Amino acid sequence: MQKGEMYVGWSTKEEVRKRGGSGGLVTSMLAAALEKKLVDAVVVLKKINEFEAVPIITSDVNEVLNSAGSLHSVPSHFAKLIANRNLKVALPAKGCDVRGIIEQGKRNAINLDNTFIVGLNCGGSMHPVVTREMLEVMYKIKPEDVHGEEIEKGKLIFETKDGKEHAITIDELEEKGFGRRESCRYCTIKVPNNSDIACGNWGVTGDLVGKATFVEINSEKGAKLLQNAIDAGYVQVQKPDDKGIAMRGKIKGVMEELGKKWKGKIFVPIETGRLEYFRKELEHCIDCGACKTVCPTCSCGDISKCTQYHSRGDAYKMSMYHLVRFLHLADACIGCGQCSDVCPVDIPLTRLYRRFANPVQEQLKYEPGMDMQKPPYFEVKLNE
Amino acid sequence: MTDNVYSTICPGCNFGCGLYIRENGALEVDFRKSSPANAGKLCRFGMSLPKIFAPIRPMVDGKETTLEEAAKEAAKRISASKGSVGFLSLGNTTSEELLAIQKIAESSLYTGMVAGLPEDTYQTLNIGIPYSEIEAAKHIVLFMDPYEQYPLIVRRLLFAKNKGAKISAVWWKDLPLADENIRPLDVSKLALSKDSLIIADYNPLSDTEQVKSVLALAKNAGARITFLKPFANSTGAYLMAKGIKQKSISQLVEDINNGAIKTLFCLESDPSALFPSETLAKLSNLIIQAGQQPSSKANIVIANEPLYKKKGTLINNEGRAQSLGCAGTDGLDALGIIAGAKFDFDTLNESVKKAIGITTVDEFTIPKYDRPAYGAIQASIKSLDTKTALVSVYNPFMWSGLADDNDFVELNQRSVQALKLMKGATVKISSNGSAIEKKFRVAPVQDNILLAGKRFGIEKGIITPVELSR
Ligand SMILES: Cc1cc2nc3c(=O)[nH]c(=O)nc-3n(C[C@H](O)[C@H](O)[C@H](O)COP(=O)(O)OP(=O)(O)OC[C@H]3O[C@@H](n4cnc5c(N)ncnc54)[C@H](O)[C@@H]3O)c2cc1C
Ligand code: SF4
Ligand code: SF4
Ligand code: SF4
Ligand code: SF4
Repeated sequence: MQKGEMYVGWSTKEEVRKRGGSGGLVTSMLAAALEKKLVDAVVVLKKINEFEAVPIITSDVNEVLNSAGSLHSVPSHFAKLIANRNLKVALPAKGCDVRGIIEQGKRNAINLDNTFIVGLNCGGSMHPVVTREMLEVMYKIKPEDVHGEEIEKGKLIFETKDGKEHAITIDELEEKGFGRRESCRYCTIKVPNNSDIACGNWGVTGDLVGKATFVEINSEKGAKLLQNAIDAGYVQVQKPDDKGIAMRGKIKGVMEELGKKWKGKIFVPIETGRLEYFRKELEHCIDCGACKTVCPTCSCGDISKCTQYHSRGDAYKMSMYHLVRFLHLADACIGCGQCSDVCPVDIPLTRLYRRFANPVQEQLKYEPGMDMQKPPYFEVKLNE
Repeated sequence: MTDNVYSTICPGCNFGCGLYIRENGALEVDFRKSSPANAGKLCRFGMSLPKIFAPIRPMVDGKETTLEEAAKEAAKRISASKGSVGFLSLGNTTSEELLAIQKIAESSLYTGMVAGLPEDTYQTLNIGIPYSEIEAAKHIVLFMDPYEQYPLIVRRLLFAKNKGAKISAVWWKDLPLADENIRPLDVSKLALSKDSLIIADYNPLSDTEQVKSVLALAKNAGARITFLKPFANSTGAYLMAKGIKQKSISQLVEDINNGAIKTLFCLESDPSALFPSETLAKLSNLIIQAGQQPSSKANIVIANEPLYKKKGTLINNEGRAQSLGCAGTDGLDALGIIAGAKFDFDTLNESVKKAIGITTVDEFTIPKYDRPAYGAIQASIKSLDTKTALVSVYNPFMWSGLADDNDFVELNQRSVQALKLMKGATVKISSNGSAIEKKFRVAPVQDNILLAGKRFGIEKGIITPVELSR
């Protein structure tokens, strides 16, 4: 097995295959890595209900096996969770998780050689509070009655406990302000080829639809993970058909185009009053620091430029904290949306950070978290 | 290795913000995005919880001991000083523990209630309306600083504003989210209607006349009124103690000062946030049962588990009942030692649910509460009987005695110029012979008013007459 190869595979454990997002392969691969001591720990989401799960770091194989399934309303992020812990770990990772982990790696907070990243294709995630409201307002169903959910042909489908399916197109939901988080709409990473192995349901065809996972090996570590799972008897694979490979490429292309459209729609250039725009947006900031704590590309501890230059006693029109962060994240922001998610006064922070990051990253031809390229700001040379 | 992750509620105020605490060597906060009150968002205080939950040790007279021994010693001293023991509980713990302490305290229970308010206003004062109703309001009138005091209400207010609500603030300084800023002494300029919703702060140090006057304003205009409160379970404390004899904090200060109370038992309540150290010094025994470090020096510290490890029910401002996601009952066990009886969690939990009229605790459904109208109230607006005043803006850090990064006062540009204060220098604040020097921040505050989110030690209640100089 080697980099570039693609497979369609599934878990050999019936229960895991049934509960898995597509074929339970990810879960089985993680469990096998733990069982065969490829790693000491695995990160998984411990499910509480359809709309809530909490990430845990575990060495318990059963805990891993129990975690099968995709939770689209759990916009968690794993990079900070494993940072500065010196773990030998395997974990599932949406594109933004992978990007955050790689950026932490560049800052020496994660040892990437000891981190096995199982990438998940990602069309987007939703905020659980928004999902609950959407179920009541748009679908007219009680969140508690939801039994499962899937995305098919541009529709978000909820299955209720009575076995009925309720489908609405994602376009319609998003037009009404529901659906995916804003950052997910313009996110550019749909197939995480920056991970060790990219997994998803796109490209699975025929009878296997819903029962198998499509994987693409991106690195030696990825090959090792999959081979280990096969050797351990946890996973079975076969070669994908050409139709599947083509389909996967096509959907990826369509999703990327859609992302670009959203990007154009959201980032309408601000012709005049730029400073006033940012000042207004930040006016309600209560200085909680959550946006820094949560940011997966920030690896500063308590002592950092954004906090050291800032004092709560200052009365600047825009705080030094934000000014420093806008500059500091211009090359580093991966657009994961975590800062907007946690801001207690609902400032659309990701949008603000991207206003700085989009032009800077385009001009410097640098996409953080996609590969090991050094952040350009690490290399700024000062003139004599 | 499996992480210990606890699903819990922030003890900073009665907003009911859900979060996870992760024990990973050091404590970490993790965002519980599905939490109904806060969508996982937390204010400065919520983000500081790892500091608050620093481990504490059981102590008797400065010597470390076990939880059980500390509780036994407390029981001994309480029975030895029978007749002069007071029990203080502000509602910073589970409803189950609050029921237990009532049984111990009998008639000497001091709570966060404010003396001198008509009984028919209690329900209005203590059970707020759902946040969704705030979001749907057409005219919102604030009698507090939401940014400083109850930060998680800000996004609800902005939501209402985006939907067209007008926001009026009756406050000492201009608030960025307000369409109209009225100073407290000019409250007669405020126009209210049936569409207005007043949001005010109600806490153990609230001024009786001030509370009466906002109640009267709402009553006379036919407007709705709701209160926000400090402490994780203030609403639960009210509901659990309904119909039980309780005394106010002002009464407690009086009782300690005149020697009627010599031993004070505090359940998850820090007395130094409430009254002067001179008063505390008069006690012969201060016993604190808590899961977080009290800032008062106690003779006995009964260190039970921190809130995030407890089992039990909390009720937030909206009346929403939420279960703490953990299993700890050692607080109840310690109360059992003091009572000389064992408290059974399940029995108490049943009584809690009965008191709210529910059969299961579901955080997504707010139980129905009576919202009886209250009668006419006589109130007069007090004028400030001083030229210059320091106003303490009580926030979660102050209630829990935790230092925040705010060692400064706010005052306006005109005052800075009049006093010829230098940029980056300090302002001298004197009151009754004592003087302090503080850094200052220029803000759109009323003339001759200083605002502070921290106690400096010269305060005489919420409003302190002061003199300023360079
Ligand atoms: C938010 C989201 C959106 C997705 N969108 C697409 C898509 O558009 N196209 C596509 O081909 N595939 C998508 N996937 C991937 C797909 O749903 C399956 O996860 C993938 O095919 C692997 O299936 P499996 O049965 O092998 O995984 P499983 O065996 O079910 O294992 C899934 C693993 O993912 C973890 N996990 C579940 N939810 C999350 C989450 N929200 N964040 C991080 N980790 C999580 C679980 O803990 C578990 O370890 C998405 C996944 C997620 C989580
Ligand atoms: S930001 Fe991208 S990778 Fe992350 S959840 Fe959204 S769509 Fe998925
Ligand atoms: S600034 Fe916000 S969107 Fe950008 S990486 Fe940090 S948390 Fe993610
Ligand atoms: S999360 Fe929001 S309120 Fe908190 S510091 Fe960041 S911008 Fe300010
Ligand atoms: S202090 Fe209050 S508003 Fe702040 S996080 Fe805690 S409960 Fe929420």
